Amino acid sequence: MTNLRRRWQRYRRQNRFLIGLYVLLLLLAGGAYALFSRMAGLPPEDLTNRLLIFLLWWFDLTLIAILLFILLRNFLKLALERRYGILGTRFRTKLLLSYLVLIVVPTGLLFLLSAALLSGAATAWFSAPVEGMVRAGVEVADGVRTEAEARTQRAAQVIASRLGAIPTQPARLTELERLHALMGNHLTGLLREGIPVVELVDPRQRLLERIPPLAPEVFKADGVRGERFGGTLVVRAWKRAPDGSVVMVGEALPENLVRAQSRLAAGGVAYEHLKMERPTITATVVLGFGGLALLVAFGSIWLGLYLSRRFTAPLLALAATTQRVAGGESLEQVPLPAEDEVGMLVGSFNSMVLRLRERDEELQATVRRLDTVLGAVRTGVLTLDAGRSHVRGNPAAAAMLGVPELARGLMALDNLSAAGLPRLVEPIRTATGPVRGSLTVYPGGVARHLEMAIVPLGMVENPEGWVVALEDLTQLLRAQRQAAWSEVARRIAHQIKNPLTPIRLAAERMARHSERASPDLKDVVSQGCSAIVEHVQAMQEMVNSFSRYAKMPPLARRPVRLGELARQVVTLYQDVREGLRVELSDRSDGREVLLDPEQFRQVMANLIDNAVEASPGGGLVAVAVEWQGAEVVVTVTDEGHGLPVEDEELLFQPFYSTKGRGSGVGLAMVQRIVTDHGGTVHLEANQPCGVRAVVRIPGGLE
Amino acid sequence: MILAAILLAAAPLPELKVELKPSPGRLEVQMTVQRELPSEWVEALKAGAPVSVTYRMRLYRNRHFLWDQRVAGHELVVKAQRDTLTGVMSLSAELDGEILASRQVDSLEEAIRYVVHPPPSDIAIPLRVEPLWLFVRAEYLTRYKVLVFPYTIGTDWVQLAVPESQ
Repeated sequence: MTNLRRRWQRYRRQNRFLIGLYVLLLLLAGGAYALFSRMAGLPPEDLTNRLLIFLLWWFDLTLIAILLFILLRNFLKLALERRYGILGTRFRTKLLLSYLVLIVVPTGLLFLLSAALLSGAATAWFSAPVEGMVRAGVEVADGVRTEAEARTQRAAQVIASRLGAIPTQPARLTELERLHALMGNHLTGLLREGIPVVELVDPRQRLLERIPPLAPEVFKADGVRGERFGGTLVVRAWKRAPDGSVVMVGEALPENLVRAQSRLAAGGVAYEHLKMERPTITATVVLGFGGLALLVAFGSIWLGLYLSRRFTAPLLALAATTQRVAGGESLEQVPLPAEDEVGMLVGSFNSMVLRLRERDEELQATVRRLDTVLGAVRTGVLTLDAGRSHVRGNPAAAAMLGVPELARGLMALDNLSAAGLPRLVEPIRTATGPVRGSLTVYPGGVARHLEMAIVPLGMVENPEGWVVALEDLTQLLRAQRQAAWSEVARRIAHQIKNPLTPIRLAAERMARHSERASPDLKDVVSQGCSAIVEHVQAMQEMVNSFSRYAKMPPLARRPVRLGELARQVVTLYQDVREGLRVELSDRSDGREVLLDPEQFRQVMANLIDNAVEASPGGGLVAVAVEWQGAEVVVTVTDEGHGLPVEDEELLFQPFYSTKGRGSGVGLAMVQRIVTDHGGTVHLEANQPCGVRAVVRIPGGLE
Repeated sequence: MILAAILLAAAPLPELKVELKPSPGRLEVQMTVQRELPSEWVEALKAGAPVSVTYRMRLYRNRHFLWDQRVAGHELVVKAQRDTLTGVMSLSAELDGEILASRQVDSLEEAIRYVVHPPPSDIAIPLRVEPLWLFVRAEYLTRYKVLVFPYTIGTDWVQLAVPESQ
């Protein structure tokens, strides 16, 4: 497609060029025809001058037109490119303007200077001394001829007057010969009716014997005439005598003199001719200079444009490539323009592109491996952008949450809320740092218990993104629940079996005494019944405890001053045993916390109860309430015999007791209530003896 | 009457006087320049340089509702050159490149008289349908403005209606 378009554009360009060439030739042919038809009658010299002027004008005008076209085209193109914001336009505009100023100003100045110099030189050629000299030469030639004319006229007049006084023809001829010799004339003649009667020629001027006669009509009046003949100037003057005859006297000027005069005259004529043509010569040379200046300007501008294109093209290609890369397109190399500095720059860029490509490929491979790993792991992973507006997940997360679109690509986080996962979205949106927690979601109506960890990428203050790891604990919890129920069943059986044995033994004892009709029967029955009742009551208490644990009511939170609540509970244990002190340290500053007071009262009672039970020898049970950051912390410390706190998890399991009596649900209930409040509880050894129970409840009220 | 005579005397003569004598299919044009020739032209003639005066004649047909159509163009070139050796002036008149007349005179005044009042030109005129106009001008020299822009020194164009032949 691209190749076809390129061929079409090339065809259009060629076509335009051919049409332009055709029109140009047509105009040239028409112009030449008009010119030659107008100049058909001109002498060759004028024709040459006009043709030269015409050609120079044509040359100059063509160059001006081409220059204007190139400049206008480039400026128009640059203006359009600037309007459309094409890269590099400002640089090329500056370059073009700089070239223009650098070329046009010196060329124009040079042209003006040349024209002024030429005009001055032409004026100097035709200066007054030269012109005076030429005029003087012409005047000398005129003077010599005029002098010869005057001499011959005077001689003719003298001879005519002398002959007029002589009556006879022979005497006249004799006198004519005498005067011819006496006056030293080159030619003396006597004519009648225009026909020579006698012609006397100086033997040294035999040339005059061949000179053609003058036309008879010229002799109607006196006159003089100079003629070129035989390489010299012959001046002939004639005078009419009273008898009607005409006396003619001729003189041939010396050949050397005439030759010098001819040269002077030719020089004068040439000078005058040149003077007449001076404006044409000046115009021709100025036009020639103008054409040369325009040619230089044209060549320079063309070269400047070519060089600017050549210089800027690789830079623009480089910039365009970087822009495309910045816009998200794939990395590509720029063709190397030359082995210069620009070439080095382009080469460095290409090397960088190669390295980046390698890095990109490595990154792609890593991403592929990561995708494979994330696709294979059972942990659900969600990734979010920094703004937490879009999310994508691995197949495990998509399956866990029942949103297949998560594994296909980015989707809006709001869509997860719309998919019935607001409990997942809410902590993701509000997390300000690493968060861990658990939640239950219901994809497809089936409950899934998830352990969730939200972690920011990079710095916590300004994260680059967020990662959410989801662990599906449904199967694990089910297994744990089954195990717990098994344990519960075992412990219930154990707890029930313990009182059953003494009951069975009491019943058997009473039966034996009854068979033997033992006199102690009454006492035995009384003792047996007491034992049976005692153990049945114990079983009743145990069953009630199970019932309470199983039927834990829902939380009824309200703002409570925990310090006050603790004081009420601690008061119940004052003087509960000899030598035992139960003391409260309230550092809660009266701040309120949102919790269920009845259930939390039970928590504190259980913990204090355990502490009292663990201190049979007395001592101190210290209860403390204080705030640590956003948490309220309640600690109950005793100085008793202690507990194996390393088995803390076991201690919090229901129906586990180290006391050998009781139901074993106290600590289990404590943990359950605290967990329901979003808090934590753990046991630690107190130094030097005893145990410290620490309860942390988040979220106080200001 | 006196005032009219004064005004007539004061009125400048036309630069170029043209007299037309029509005959069937022909027109005789007699042109006379009634002002002095440029001094440099005369000086050049005196110095022996070949000089000329070109009389341009253009015949137009006056058409209704259309621009005037040029039907013919003629040039009468009157050349003069003085032989500085003999002082003789050679004169010739060429109509459209063909010699119409030539002669030699001995004085500058005679030569100038011949140049400003050349022999009449006999030109052909087309068959008349619309009125014909003749435009005539005399040109002496070519000069250049601002060194390079050519212009011609000469008379203004004179426009005459070509009369019907009797």
